[in-house]
Amino acid sequence: MNFIQVLIESFRSMAANRLRTALTMLGIIIGIASVVLLLAIGDSMQRFIGKELQQLGTNMVYVFPGGDRTTAQRARAGSVPSLSTMDAAALNALPSLTGAAPALQGSFKLSAGNESSNSQVHGVTPAMFKIRNWKLDQGNLFSEADVRASSRMVVIGQKVADQFFYKSDPLGRYIRIENVAFQVIGVLAGEGKQIDGSDIAELVLVPITAASANLIKMPFPQNVHYIAAQGRPDMSLKEAEEDIKETLRVRHRIRIDSPDDFKVQNMASFAETANKISAGVALLLGMIGAISLLVGGIGIMNIMLVSVTERTREIGIRMAIGARPGAVLLQFLAESVVICVAGGLVGVLIAMAGAAAITATGKFDVFLTFQGVLVACGFASAVGVFFGFYPARRASRLLPVDCLRYE
Amino acid sequence: MSTQLNQTLIDIRGVTKTYFSGSVETRVLHGIDLQVTRGDFVSIMGQSGSGKSTLMNILGCLDQATGGSYVLDGVDTRSLSRAQLADIRNRSIGFVFQSFNLIKRMSVAENVALPLIYAGMGRGKAHARALQELERVGLGGLAKRTPSQLSGGQQQRVAIARALATDPPMLLADEPTGNLDTQTSDDIMNSFRQLNAERGITIVLVTHEADVAAYSRRLVRLKDGRVLYDGPSVEGLRQLNPHHAEVLA
Repeated sequence: MNFIQVLIESFRSMAANRLRTALTMLGIIIGIASVVLLLAIGDSMQRFIGKELQQLGTNMVYVFPGGDRTTAQRARAGSVPSLSTMDAAALNALPSLTGAAPALQGSFKLSAGNESSNSQVHGVTPAMFKIRNWKLDQGNLFSEADVRASSRMVVIGQKVADQFFYKSDPLGRYIRIENVAFQVIGVLAGEGKQIDGSDIAELVLVPITAASANLIKMPFPQNVHYIAAQGRPDMSLKEAEEDIKETLRVRHRIRIDSPDDFKVQNMASFAETANKISAGVALLLGMIGAISLLVGGIGIMNIMLVSVTERTREIGIRMAIGARPGAVLLQFLAESVVICVAGGLVGVLIAMAGAAAITATGKFDVFLTFQGVLVACGFASAVGVFFGFYPARRASRLLPVDCLRYE
Repeated sequence: MSTQLNQTLIDIRGVTKTYFSGSVETRVLHGIDLQVTRGDFVSIMGQSGSGKSTLMNILGCLDQATGGSYVLDGVDTRSLSRAQLADIRNRSIGFVFQSFNLIKRMSVAENVALPLIYAGMGRGKAHARALQELERVGLGGLAKRTPSQLSGGQQQRVAIARALATDPPMLLADEPTGNLDTQTSDDIMNSFRQLNAERGITIVLVTHEADVAAYSRRLVRLKDGRVLYDGPSVEGLRQLNPHHAEVLA
């Protein structure tokens, strides 16, 4: 009995019991549809969260001076807090980074008119805006020329603008930082916490040179408090981190057996946690789907067992005229696999419709991957084999004489 | 010697059959000896409980004996696996049952083709061969019908066509006329006689009807799991019922 013959046989016996076949298939249809759809939702959700995280800046790497050693050790080793604008320039040229920018920061007293408050002030370069993905709501940012000229200009967040220039245009006005007047040239767009915990709306940004000239005294004029770098989205952050370390060790002439005199921190661990959570949710969704598929599979097994009992006499006839036990087993197995694969295909179609429906709501996009569909089909046939095997084996082990006696 | 071996189709020696049901043993056959040569036409008679159906099942390789030996067509069946027994049934035995045992959702032609398909023949070829066999039993025009659309006699003819599809040397018939009226029974028995005479097919049938047994050459009567009579049918039937046998003769 060849394969095609076996398939024809199973289609016939399915056709002989249409309603039962349809109901059995329904279990598999629902099972496969939910597995495929829930996996797709999980997958899409992970991608969505990943994208959101990237916008937040999880591909950011921060480099701080000093490494893990204490100040005393550092003093003994004769090194000084040692990150410089030149280091930043060197990192900026690394191919694994989209960019790197130096920064100074400190807490200062801000005042304008009658208003005053203490705020974090960052000394940055125009490159930082690109790396941090800061957008302007109005005005301009300072240029490289402004940086070279140590121009006393400031770009502020929305909240700062509201605080000092409530309901009036802040552009062109002055904020005094530690009694040094800085002219407001731009206001940042947006608000909300960033990956490092600061709020975009509360930022106060001045040219790095203006900060070092007027506000922050460093041991050497080129020293910076930190360097922010952005990893390329298509490369791993670990690689970028390694590149940074290597570059800085060479630049700082650190011997091979000596520890780093700087510290690299990336936001990837945060992203990792977020990814772990979304992967967990995706797994949970997949498991819910798998449970419904399991129920469908048990339905198949149940029906196949009934079918074997119901067709005991037929099995006896087939055996009497020369069906080997293997042929009987194959016949019943084929039937359950055919039901499952057919149900699986319908289930995939339903999942596609479901994905399209969710995408149509505009909340977020759900895609079925070809891979996912393949896996689902493989899963469906595996369910067919797994749950069909026991009834099929039972059929094949019946004795012909008992079957023929069966009424 | 070898020709003589070849001539013996069925060689049963000391066959016993015991059913075990829990701790209860029921011995149905107490050492049966039976040799059937090719081309013979044998009836097995006996009252219910005599063991004739059990013997039939053993002869048909549908069941295996508890003790003794059964050599069919030169093959010792005791050592065979279930798959090998299936092949033997497919190749060497054609079954005709009382209740026809056709598969209801298949067409007549498909029923007849089924043993050929199990024998490994391609679908088209098996179908052609099945039509041929149906023509032989005079049902060529009904190939596309399902069994339920046929009369009992027609169904039994389909069963005979199916039994003969793989060209086995032997037909085993278990009360083949049990569900048929007298006229149809005679038709079926005449077909058996014809098959035996013209195609040389060995026929072994189980019956409890003397009229049916009268068609055979040889009669084996069983009682309580033992052979009571084994000889010419005419003589055997006369012993059974002198008056009836005379009527038949």
